[in-house]
Amino acid sequence: MAVNLKRSSGEDSDGGKTSRRRMLGWLTGAGLAGSAGLSAVSNFVFIKPRATYGQPQRFSVGKPEDFPSGTRAILAARGICIVREGTKLAAISITCTHLGCTVGAADTGFACPCHGSRFDQDGNVTGGPAPRPLPWFQITLAPNGEIEVDKDIEIVPGSYLSL
Amino acid sequence: MSPATPPKASFLTALTDLPKNVWKSIFRNPLPSNDLERSSTSFTNFFLHIHPVKVHKNSLRPGYTLGLGLISFFLFVILIVTGILLMFYYVPSTTQAYDRMLDLRGSVAFGTLLRNMHRWGAHGMVAVVFMHLCRVFFTGSYKKPREFNWVVGVILFLLTLFMSFTGYLLPWDQLAFWAITVGTAIAGYAPVIGKDIQFLLMGGTSVGQEALLRFYVLHVAVLPAVLTLAIAIHFWRIRKDGGLSRAEDADPVVSLEAVPADKASVLEPKKLYGFQGLVRGPLPKVGQIPDNTVFSWPNLFLAELFTFVVTLSAILVLSLLFNAPLEEPVNALHPPNPAKAPWYFLGLQEMVSYSAFWGGIGVPGIFVLLLLGTPYMDRSTKGVGKWFSRDRLLANTIFITFVVANIIFVIIGTFFRGANWAFVTPW
Repeated sequence: MAVNLKRSSGEDSDGGKTSRRRMLGWLTGAGLAGSAGLSAVSNFVFIKPRATYGQPQRFSVGKPEDFPSGTRAILAARGICIVREGTKLAAISITCTHLGCTVGAADTGFACPCHGSRFDQDGNVTGGPAPRPLPWFQITLAPNGEIEVDKDIEIVPGSYLSL
Repeated sequence: MSPATPPKASFLTALTDLPKNVWKSIFRNPLPSNDLERSSTSFTNFFLHIHPVKVHKNSLRPGYTLGLGLISFFLFVILIVTGILLMFYYVPSTTQAYDRMLDLRGSVAFGTLLRNMHRWGAHGMVAVVFMHLCRVFFTGSYKKPREFNWVVGVILFLLTLFMSFTGYLLPWDQLAFWAITVGTAIAGYAPVIGKDIQFLLMGGTSVGQEALLRFYVLHVAVLPAVLTLAIAIHFWRIRKDGGLSRAEDADPVVSLEAVPADKASVLEPKKLYGFQGLVRGPLPKVGQIPDNTVFSWPNLFLAELFTFVVTLSAILVLSLLFNAPLEEPVNALHPPNPAKAPWYFLGLQEMVSYSAFWGGIGVPGIFVLLLLGTPYMDRSTKGVGKWFSRDRLLANTIFITFVVANIIFVIIGTFFRGANWAFVTPW
């Protein structure tokens, strides 16, 4: 099939009018680019998981008697530290707010082995690159007498559960 | 074939000539013994036609290129081959990956050797690609018309780093787990889309099976494909941009006289350097102009073979002498203390230990943007083709400053950081 390379008569770009050929070209290009863009977006939708696997964010950690006064118990598997002082209980996160490593207990509170962030006993930043203090999680006493921690709910640091 | 030949005899001749004919159908040229055949061999062979028929003597100077680009490529080839072999035994599962590493070490023939070659090849590729980048910078080779190929090169460097990052997660040892934790967290600091990228990379909210599978797919399929494509463009552009960079005085001065019309070739009346024309028919000036080039066969091909043999030998010797590290199996509860990345990421780790955003995103991002923009900001055409040319004192000084700063950070991260990333002295 022969392709006519000449402009359609009467439609000149110099005359301020867009030629039919040019407009069809633009439409074709826009259609192809749009389809490519949509395909790319749908690929991202595909690889973004709808359901994720993980541990429950709300769990029980035992009875208050398991944590005598003065306890600072690191529950590494849960990613929290249970603190008990007298009749006051709290659950402090042990996931570093810097880049997500697990902090360990140190003389002055918590210390991160990855990049040297340091926190005091209450999780406040005392050194290193951590941008925020360690969050405190909501802690409640369930009807069966067990301590329940909800990692989805952060509370104001320093607000203890009184037994 | 003459009609008088009996069919039986001609069939027998075909049989006896079969090996020769098969060979000739694949390789159209004999082993070259003259310039015509040297040219013909170079551009009728699929693997050789990537090369020019003739190559500038400057491109063959070991002291100019140090062979770094070729070494990078050959390391990539070694990594592809060893990587495919390792895939036969690897399972990207959090419960099996580590055991498979132990199997490679204990019960697979040549398993240790292949894993060592893959690991040291990867380390070598990171180092050599970076040295190649330095070579191109110090010789001013990114300048016009090679700006875009420099950009492709910077992208290749980033892909190499990402390739090695996704690779060392796969054994699912302590290094892997905490590197993926920290690495994805750094991505989370990127503005606006950071959290989404982190979620996509991890395939969830925590590092586990989904993350391992994703990094595996990136490592064995996505990144190698992108890298291969980028390498192809990189090589293609070398030729389209006129071969390797060289100084202005590398070519003898010639004045081309107008060729009388009746003597000009009917094939390519205007192109004096068309090599296809050279082979198919004589052009008036070819061979008479001093152009400082030599035939690729054998000069370039032998140099490449030599580089390949040296590269492969070095990796083999390293792999026989040193075993690739394998840390403890993943313990998601306790990071090793201190938790250190491989040496080439320790500068980055040292920087994020000051600020996650600036160390992990800001400063590296600015550095990459500066690298990408270099050929478009530095438009002077002086000082191309010479190491550390005086004309490029400023550019080279800035570049060296960045390199030395990074090396210092790597050294601090390697030797001066102890438990809890506290400053220690190594002595």
